Amino acid sequence: MSSLRGKIAIVGIGEVPTGRFPERAAIYHAIESARQAIKDSGIDKNLIDFVMPTAALFSPQFNTELVTCRIAEELGLKNAKTNCQIFAGGSSGSCFFKLGGSAIESGIAKYVLCVHADRLGTGVTAQGGIDLFSTAGISAEWEVPYGQHYSSIAALTTMRYQYETGCTDEHMAAVCVSNRKWAELNPNAVFRKPLTIEDVLASKVLSTPLRAKQSNMLFDGGSAFILTSAERAKDITDRPVYFLGEGSRVTHFVFSQERDITRFGWAEAGKDAFLEAGLTPNDIDVAEIYDSYPIYQIITMEELGFCDRGQAGELHLAGDTWPGGRLPTTTNGGMLSQGHTGAGGGVALVVEAARQLMGKAGARQVPGARFAVETGTGGTYMDAHVTILGTEIP
Amino acid sequence: MDKPKKPVPIVNDWARPFWEAARQNKLTVQKCDDCGKHIFYPRIACPHCASDNIRWVEASGKGTVYSYTVVENNAPSAFIGDMPYVVAVVKLEEGVQMLSNIVGCDPHRVRCDMPVEVVFEQLDDEFTLPKFKPVSA
Repeated sequence: MSSLRGKIAIVGIGEVPTGRFPERAAIYHAIESARQAIKDSGIDKNLIDFVMPTAALFSPQFNTELVTCRIAEELGLKNAKTNCQIFAGGSSGSCFFKLGGSAIESGIAKYVLCVHADRLGTGVTAQGGIDLFSTAGISAEWEVPYGQHYSSIAALTTMRYQYETGCTDEHMAAVCVSNRKWAELNPNAVFRKPLTIEDVLASKVLSTPLRAKQSNMLFDGGSAFILTSAERAKDITDRPVYFLGEGSRVTHFVFSQERDITRFGWAEAGKDAFLEAGLTPNDIDVAEIYDSYPIYQIITMEELGFCDRGQAGELHLAGDTWPGGRLPTTTNGGMLSQGHTGAGGGVALVVEAARQLMGKAGARQVPGARFAVETGTGGTYMDAHVTILGTEIP
Repeated sequence: MDKPKKPVPIVNDWARPFWEAARQNKLTVQKCDDCGKHIFYPRIACPHCASDNIRWVEASGKGTVYSYTVVENNAPSAFIGDMPYVVAVVKLEEGVQMLSNIVGCDPHRVRCDMPVEVVFEQLDDEFTLPKFKPVSA
């Protein structure tokens, strides 16, 4: 819980298509996303006084450029006072609110440009990506020597969860199908062809019971948004996206040290966020849930209280989470269908939540969306971040 | 083409006794003499009560499979030749958890909550990894 409820707001969003763009320098994804966000907000670029990039993983050289003010210079931000990287892996998008919001509320900054870009689709090979994610965030002493990697981690969670709840492979596949239905409507998504449960279950096994089409894939991409005070936001736009509440928990570094790999810290994080917002899951119009693998979307929704434990798979099978459903979920298609861009998977979900609340989601617009929840988690699901946003301050 | 070398544990110096014991086919964990809890992985102080009063003890080597997976595709480079292999989280009788591999059985015979016991696999001259096999009936 924080004291930021109703004090800060998103006033502009930007995003470039996710995909493989071998001819495009990584910095393009950052500056084009940022440029779009500035244009969307309608503010003069020189009002931005804090540039807050998150980290890129494909190249230490590129990441250093993000740290050393390249974005401010490329965009010609004449009044930038601070450029400081905020990085919490997949939780970075959620952390932008905590740190950027605090800078605004304290008066350190007036307009914070939050931005992500990476080139994990063309900057590393497919096997290079697997190898990168068999070491990044995985304990070099206690897990790397046993052949641990992100697919086996998701599989360990899925296996135990299915064992405890009786949920089936079809339930897991239904998450992929649901997210794909949204991606079909998202011009920035990589995977836009219709997908069936049969397609998912016919794809090759990676680590039992996880299959290839239940795994995210890595791509190039970028997204950005602009934070300012709620007071300033009202003068800038008639559709500010207000920050209403947050909650989070850190649970582990070494994955195998997690005491319950089917729950993590979502229940407590969610309780804090809803309490601060003064809302319940019933009030939520759109849920942007971190979905690097289907199991994490399922667990998060259950632990947040959108349904009982063991029931989220049914929601996805029955169409409640689809376009036109009762609980529109991960409406950009998520990392499973829009594509995973590293820390940007979570930033894209923040941007999508804002897009829906601003009424700018085009063919996939959830009519009359007032309240959204966004979740992020980093590393090997080391933390649980829940953020609640709204078009009004209830 | 040369096969990529298996990654060896990058050892924190206070964990050295664990790896020295493993080389002698012994599974050890730490125990706090103040709060009485077992500790794994090795720490410089008790993560439960912050006491410095911790010592090494030999573990029973028995536990159960908390969760497991059979890696069949897309393994890290150094493990491609091992597929299919089992990655598992094992809960030891002492109450601590560790990642390991389940060996000595058909990978698809492994189940959650299955009883297992420690075996040792030499990685190179310096390192021996504790792994687990199903407890024979």
